[in-house]
Amino acid sequence: MPDETLRILVTSTIAFFAGITGFIIYFIVLYRNRQLRNKQEQEQLQSAFRQELLKAQIEMQEQTLLYISREIHDNITQVLSFVKLTLSMAASNTEDQKQLKINESRDLVSQAINDLRDLSKSLSFEHITRLGLVKTIEIETNRLNKSGIIKMHLSTDGDIYPLGEQRELVLYRIFQEALNNTIKHSGAKHFKIGLHYYPELFNLTLEDDGKGFSVNLLDNISGAGLKNMENRASLIGAVAAINSSTGTGCSIKVSLNPLEERLYTDGYHPNRFS
Amino acid sequence: MPYKSTIYCFLLLIVALIGIFSYKRLTFPFKILAWSVLVVFVLNVISQYFIWKYRNNYIILHIESLTDYLFYAATYYYLFKNKLIKRLIIVSIVGMSVFFFINALFLQPLQTVFPTYMYYPAQILFSLFSLLLFKEMLQYPLAINITKQSVFWFNTAILFYGTTMFFILGLTNYLAEHNLNDQFLFNFWYLIIYLFHIFIAFSFLTDNRDISAKDA
Repeated sequence: MPDETLRILVTSTIAFFAGITGFIIYFIVLYRNRQLRNKQEQEQLQSAFRQELLKAQIEMQEQTLLYISREIHDNITQVLSFVKLTLSMAASNTEDQKQLKINESRDLVSQAINDLRDLSKSLSFEHITRLGLVKTIEIETNRLNKSGIIKMHLSTDGDIYPLGEQRELVLYRIFQEALNNTIKHSGAKHFKIGLHYYPELFNLTLEDDGKGFSVNLLDNISGAGLKNMENRASLIGAVAAINSSTGTGCSIKVSLNPLEERLYTDGYHPNRFS
Repeated sequence: MPYKSTIYCFLLLIVALIGIFSYKRLTFPFKILAWSVLVVFVLNVISQYFIWKYRNNYIILHIESLTDYLFYAATYYYLFKNKLIKRLIIVSIVGMSVFFFINALFLQPLQTVFPTYMYYPAQILFSLFSLLLFKEMLQYPLAINITKQSVFWFNTAILFYGTTMFFILGLTNYLAEHNLNDQFLFNFWYLIIYLFHIFIAFSFLTDNRDISAKDA
């Protein structure tokens, strides 16, 4: 083989080989960068999720404390004051009247005890962990039905399965926020809650028969509340669809694939089926 | 048997043994790859026998051109996530199988001609699959070090093999047409084929069913 041909052959072969090797090295560098970027994104997502979860917990605590203070002020204090008044007035009554007043007072104290027991149940927002989403919503439904503020209807569909502590907490917070909005702003008389448990899909539907609103015309504050619900839903891998128009009430549907594991799942926040 | 072929045979045997011994913990695509190395080893031994007995091993090279393609394409089929590429691989397997018979019967007869018509499209497709898999790896990066990923070693092996074989076959034709000595290319081809099987061995050593399932 002529020297010139051999030289060209060797050079082109080496160049070719170096080209492929260079490509592989470039790929390794690119891949490592992607891995780092992915890791950072995952850490950011986990951090955002933890923050959001903490925020939801604090909000639930605030809501619970607000409810407790209102209950103590509006209900228990009133009942006990009435009991005190009744008993103080009893001194001047006849024996029969005294007995009647004592009986009345005993019933009232017993009612106050019951109310305090209900309150003590609400004190721990963590009972969602122990009781689960359905039971916790059921307790809240019964409480509100008893109070007469609004008529609540709870329905469940399918075999109930646990969705994981984090997800149930966020779903409960969405329920709480929607209920709050309904009571405060909608003037609704009824509030329907639907929990649908399908094998590969979970749906939480919240509907009221209030005055409704136009989603497009919401101001920043009200709009932020709804956006917050959507953001929270997306953090647990769910999708929140909010539908409303003036005069037709409001409906919120949160759909979630229970089988999907999210990126933020870690040892600190168990999110698996128990 | 020339020493390069002997080394190649030994290398194939070692890689096949690594594949066999780690077979249980291999993922399905790498189980296919383990079988492919074993088949290539057997074909290589038969090929050496044919050279010794008949001084012609074209028939084995024809068979090897098809088996190589079927095994590597099947491995790629299970490595890809993209459904369109998977479909493309199935179509290519059917197409190459049909073309193998057309080529062997009408274009490059089994006993007389080296099946370059089979190797050209196969090497192009291997290079294409390899680049596409690299792209897919970037789309779904795993948390583990890339040098501990069997897919990386296999894909690198195929990229070297596919592109270099195409390059060598092209240059060999040129040198043959101009009556020039192709010893340099012959040596280079052996270097690549050694490298290819060393990378395949790495892929067997790094592949782990449990890790793949956890990081998927």
